[in-house]
Amino acid sequence: MVSTARTWFVRTLCAAALAAGMVGIAAAQQPIKIGFSMALTGGLAGAGKGALIAMEIWRDDVNKKGGLLGRPVQLVYYDDATQPANVPGIYTKLLEVDKVDLVVSAYGTNLIAPAMPIIMRKKLVFPSLFGLGVNEEFNYDRYFQIMPSGPDPKVDWTRGFFALAMEQNPKPRTVAIVAADAEFALNAAAGARKNAQNAGLKIVYDKTYPPATTDYTPIVRAIQATNPDIVFVGSYPPDSVGMVKAANEVGLKTKLFGGGMVGLQFAAIQKNLGPMLNGIVNYDFWVPEPTLKFSGVEEFLAKYREAAKGKGVDPYGHYLPPYAYAYLQVLGQAVEATKSLDHGKLAEHMHKTEYDTVVGKVKFGKNGEWARSRVLQVQFRDVQPDNLEQFAGPGKRIVLYPKEWKSGDIVYPYKQ
Amino acid sequence: MSKISPFWVSAAVVLAAGLAFTEIVENQYYFTAIYLILQGLIMAVAWNILGGFTGYVNFGSAAFFAVGAYTAIALDKALGLPLPLLIVAAAAICGLIGLGVGYLTLRLKGVYFAIATLAMAIVLETFITNWSYVGGARGAYILTPDKHLWFDSYSEMLFMLMLVLAVVSVAISRKLNFSRLGRGLAAIRDDEVAAECAGVPTLRLKLVSTTIMGAMMGVAGAPYPFFVTYVDPLSAFNLFVAVNAIAMPMIGGTAHWIGPVIGALLVGSMQEIVKVNISSELNILIVGVMLVLFISLAPQGIVGLVQKHFLKRKA
Repeated sequence: MVSTARTWFVRTLCAAALAAGMVGIAAAQQPIKIGFSMALTGGLAGAGKGALIAMEIWRDDVNKKGGLLGRPVQLVYYDDATQPANVPGIYTKLLEVDKVDLVVSAYGTNLIAPAMPIIMRKKLVFPSLFGLGVNEEFNYDRYFQIMPSGPDPKVDWTRGFFALAMEQNPKPRTVAIVAADAEFALNAAAGARKNAQNAGLKIVYDKTYPPATTDYTPIVRAIQATNPDIVFVGSYPPDSVGMVKAANEVGLKTKLFGGGMVGLQFAAIQKNLGPMLNGIVNYDFWVPEPTLKFSGVEEFLAKYREAAKGKGVDPYGHYLPPYAYAYLQVLGQAVEATKSLDHGKLAEHMHKTEYDTVVGKVKFGKNGEWARSRVLQVQFRDVQPDNLEQFAGPGKRIVLYPKEWKSGDIVYPYKQ
Repeated sequence: MSKISPFWVSAAVVLAAGLAFTEIVENQYYFTAIYLILQGLIMAVAWNILGGFTGYVNFGSAAFFAVGAYTAIALDKALGLPLPLLIVAAAAICGLIGLGVGYLTLRLKGVYFAIATLAMAIVLETFITNWSYVGGARGAYILTPDKHLWFDSYSEMLFMLMLVLAVVSVAISRKLNFSRLGRGLAAIRDDEVAAECAGVPTLRLKLVSTTIMGAMMGVAGAPYPFFVTYVDPLSAFNLFVAVNAIAMPMIGGTAHWIGPVIGALLVGSMQEIVKVNISSELNILIVGVMLVLFISLAPQGIVGLVQKHFLKRKA
């Protein structure tokens, strides 16, 4: 009788232990869900799809190593169609229906901002992908921007362009500022104006143009008529192409040309413009120069190139994808370091830690922007016609600024 | 004792259900999703007052919506007015613009009027793009206020507000449809010259119609900045807003006040479901395909199909 009771007790104990083990395994296997909205269609789809490829590479890399906190990582995302009105619905669904554990932002200022009130209400950590000065309005202490614009994003963005100009001999005296009538370009131009004033440059031309402009020749002619020493352009991909072509057609004579042209970072546009790019000094965030070989970036780009084939995205992915990978790296490292999904702990860690990522060391400042700006100013050199492969390696975009990442000296003036 | 109309009973039930919904449901997703459907509904009902009842096609709906949104932004920035007053102000400004559009009908009809409304949208977009006080091309941020009455969240309050506005819009549209004024508008739609000869004050009726349409669209746009918190001209003057405002009544049926309501609920719900289950871009495709199908197979919309079905049964 005693033996039967003992057997029953042992069996019950074993069953309970087994059940507890099963529950434990099930919990361990439950994925950590990271939710976000991304522009997979609409105006920003090209960049958004590239970012998604990078994020999926990060997910696979992490899962191969056993996931986060021993749990696999799952990305839950929806296409915002580049429509800000879709964003609030997407983030509330992610949080309330899909019950994601962590969230990251979409790509681009006007698709990041609509998520902010929802994120702030829930007090979530919010790694953000390429929003210019979004947190200036919200002052949210759990917002972390991966774009290396710096603590004063709108001014820091163009600081390098003007610093470079003022190092030249003879120093330039006049500047022309031209920008598209749209969010990023206007902010960049406002920063450029401030930097020009700080440098003591006289602004001889300061105008905007509608984004739908197709003929840029009259604009370049009007700029040329003011004979500026340097020309700062804040533009989006289609107008960047238009401005470069018009500058070549008109034969724009100036000492420094470029600054804030979006699009010149993309391989397809680089191939399209070819030698017309030579001499232009423009912003960038990562280029394949020897000074920027951060740990893991080559391996990441090799995987990206493979994954990007046939998907209609930038084949080399130098501009946005490494940062899309890095903002998840930061989040992943914070989760591993704090061994927690507690957003308060994560935010605290992200404020005080310097992270090692494929885009180098990342340290956030108080406002969630990079503590120190690393907006590069690069100069196009020796670009040959009709050759896409030339942009895969070094030597075509020489880093001039900041000095610690410099890979060559400036060729000055642009054209005289 | 006068009998209470079933419409008002239904309206009271809808409002009570909405209030109960905010109490029972905690999932905020439903409030944001339904908000967008109701926004589409108000736009559709407004478009139908001119497009369906009067027969004048307006391609510039997004402009009224955006002016409503930017009126709210400007007055919030300048005076910090509460949302209900911002909505009233948006209705007044957009009503005035609607009145102006009404005068266009003196000279323009058919396709020329439609093109003029499109041109007006472009002119207004250019104006807003260059008005730096409301952010210009850079866009404007609106911080959601902390106060949300007795509701648990701001999105619940916006949902309830939108529901009230939608019910009021539908009530106005219904009233117009069955009133003397509505019959006048129908006469204009059928034959404007004949209506004029029969003594219908066509200009006055058209002015009333465009003013109400403009005011309603402004009302739909005024809470939008508080919903998205960041508005730029490109997203406010979005073509999709205008396309939806036309597609919803066309699919539901333009001749009856219930048409745009059915169309908006059907198309809007489908869009919200497809957006999170299949793809956001498919929304546009779905609207396009439905529009083509309805225009070619059932030009009177769902209401027309139902009416036809009942007429056949009666016969």
